[in-house]
Amino acid sequence: MSVLGTLVRKEFRQLRRDPALLRLVLILPVMQLLVMSYALNNDLRHLRVSVLDDDRTPLSRRLVEAFPHGVTFTPGPGAEGEAELGRLLREGRCDIAVHIPAGFARDVSDGRSPAVGLAVDGSNSSIAGRGAGYAEALLTREAARLATENGRPGGTPVKPAVRFYHNPELESRLYMVPGIIVILVTIISALVTGLAVVREKELGTLEQIRVTPVTPLQMIAGKTIPFALIALVDLILATLFAVAWFHVPMAGSPLVLLLGVFLYLVVTLGLGLLASAVSDTQQQAVFTVWFFLVFAIMLSGFFFPVQNMPPWARALTWLNPMRFFMAIVRGVLLRGAGVGDLAREFSMLALMGVAAFGGAVALFRRASD
Amino acid sequence: MSATSSTSTSVDGLAVHVRGLTRRFGDFTAVDGLDLDVREGEIFGFLGANGAGKTTAIRMLCGLLQPSSGSAMVAGVEVGRHARELKRRIGYMSQRFSLYDDLTVDENVEFFGGIYGLEGAPLRERSEELLPLLGLADRRRTQAGALPLGYKQRLALGCSLLHRPRVLFLDEPTGGVDPVARRRFWDLIYAQAAAGTTVFVTTHYMDEAEYCGRVSIMVQGKLVALDTPGGLKALTGGRDMQDVFLRLVEA
Ligand SMILES: Nc1ncnc2c1ncn2[C@@H]1O[C@H](COP(=O)(O)OP(=O)(O)O)[C@@H](O)[C@H]1O
Ligand SMILES: [Mg+2]
Repeated sequence: MSVLGTLVRKEFRQLRRDPALLRLVLILPVMQLLVMSYALNNDLRHLRVSVLDDDRTPLSRRLVEAFPHGVTFTPGPGAEGEAELGRLLREGRCDIAVHIPAGFARDVSDGRSPAVGLAVDGSNSSIAGRGAGYAEALLTREAARLATENGRPGGTPVKPAVRFYHNPELESRLYMVPGIIVILVTIISALVTGLAVVREKELGTLEQIRVTPVTPLQMIAGKTIPFALIALVDLILATLFAVAWFHVPMAGSPLVLLLGVFLYLVVTLGLGLLASAVSDTQQQAVFTVWFFLVFAIMLSGFFFPVQNMPPWARALTWLNPMRFFMAIVRGVLLRGAGVGDLAREFSMLALMGVAAFGGAVALFRRASD
Repeated sequence: MSATSSTSTSVDGLAVHVRGLTRRFGDFTAVDGLDLDVREGEIFGFLGANGAGKTTAIRMLCGLLQPSSGSAMVAGVEVGRHARELKRRIGYMSQRFSLYDDLTVDENVEFFGGIYGLEGAPLRERSEELLPLLGLADRRRTQAGALPLGYKQRLALGCSLLHRPRVLFLDEPTGGVDPVARRRFWDLIYAQAAAGTTVFVTTHYMDEAEYCGRVSIMVQGKLVALDTPGGLKALTGGRDMQDVFLRLVEA
């Protein structure tokens, strides 16, 4: 086994001994993807609620009125029958459809558990999940209150039967998920690599390695190859997850995506190494990488499209590798873009990779003064 | 190798040859015009109070720190000129334990062997030879972090010996362990020197100075004395090395 092989194997051995880090780099990304995609998606605002009241009793009308007409819910178009209610939802003219079946009031006064139909537009996953939860809680609470008022203390819980309607209008979620993947890959590759190097500085093992014939280049390769592999596994996991769970399409070629990932990892690993070269403690390294991350994310087009930025900010995005990788991931996944369509992005990443990695190698050479 | 032929003939019989070695940090001179020669196979003691400049001097000799001025030849290689060749010929055990706590004894040995290009049967042979000597034969699967300090120090010594260095630099190798463990460590140092390795060792335990062939005493970056323990006692009229040291430092 070569010197490089020795360095790489040692890195994996240490990783295996550190279950916390292993969890951090393998399981956390998928959890974050899940949490962030729901959390970052559109606010729960102005959800249009269409109600079909087949009971037409004072009690059922009070349930209808229980949906407050405020910031969260606004009244959607009314429906004459179940078919029309379903059509409103499918056509995106309302977000939530509530069906109060005939017999609702009778069920309440007889103490039976009344059924209420609740259907939610599933296209926007955050609205679907949180909106349904919100509406369900509201209906349950109101029905229980009505039951109590009608002489049934303790009430009988309403049982809304929640259904999700799929809707091909997937815009915002599709746009967010690839962006989150980009951010995760950046954090894992830059931060974990930087930390791994600085930890050896703190332990004194870096100095121990410097009195051996290991060259700075071997040292750097030994540190980056394992974390590049892990970042790659993360990316594949997150992409599979995005496709399977969020139904993000894989419109383009996975190979084009892989090329983009490779170029981007060279940049971020280089940046992680640069951060480790200027840091003496793990805290310093974390802050340095964090500082970069905040700017990179803000100027990546993740929250605000680059073309909407003021000219000076737009100029700054040219220094931001994340902007270009974001464009590659979205382009390949959503539009099926090829290398030719993304030539500018690929060349910028290649350029930045040479700069970041070259800088890191130079700093490591100098550090062994 | 060209580095070998161009450098190894310069000073015969000397493992370390230092002239005017100086290192400044800003206005502060940590090592000030160091001159010394260490013969091959010698156990050379480098004594001094904390902050005297011992570690700084050793780090320069190992190629870890650039001297501000002066020259040094170690194991026949000019320091700063042929860094990789120098590193193949020396072993270094730093003042802090600096192996991987989360790797086992065997894995540390495998790692440090591997980066010197030692693997397979030769590595196995070398560790079968060293580990029993170091008293680590029955701890091969223990993680280094779980070893008592004395064992850690012997493991660090072992890892710096795997590639059979010609010159071994030990920076306060016995700091913080009991006299029995220190005595045991010095037996290992003797064994290495007997096998022809030059040992350059710093310490601030004065009793350990007695074990060295020759001893140098450093005060505030400068060498104030260099002789055999017996010679230093005669020179200063000190009863033991502790006494010698105090007389020299207070002079
Ligand atoms: N990198 C450095 N920057 C500034 N001062 C240093 C540095 N390294 C060592 N020194 C100073 O040089 C002096 C000698 O330190 P050192 O060589 O570690 O002494 P010793 O090993 O004899 O205890 C100390 O005063 C120390 O503070
Ligand atoms: Mg010291």
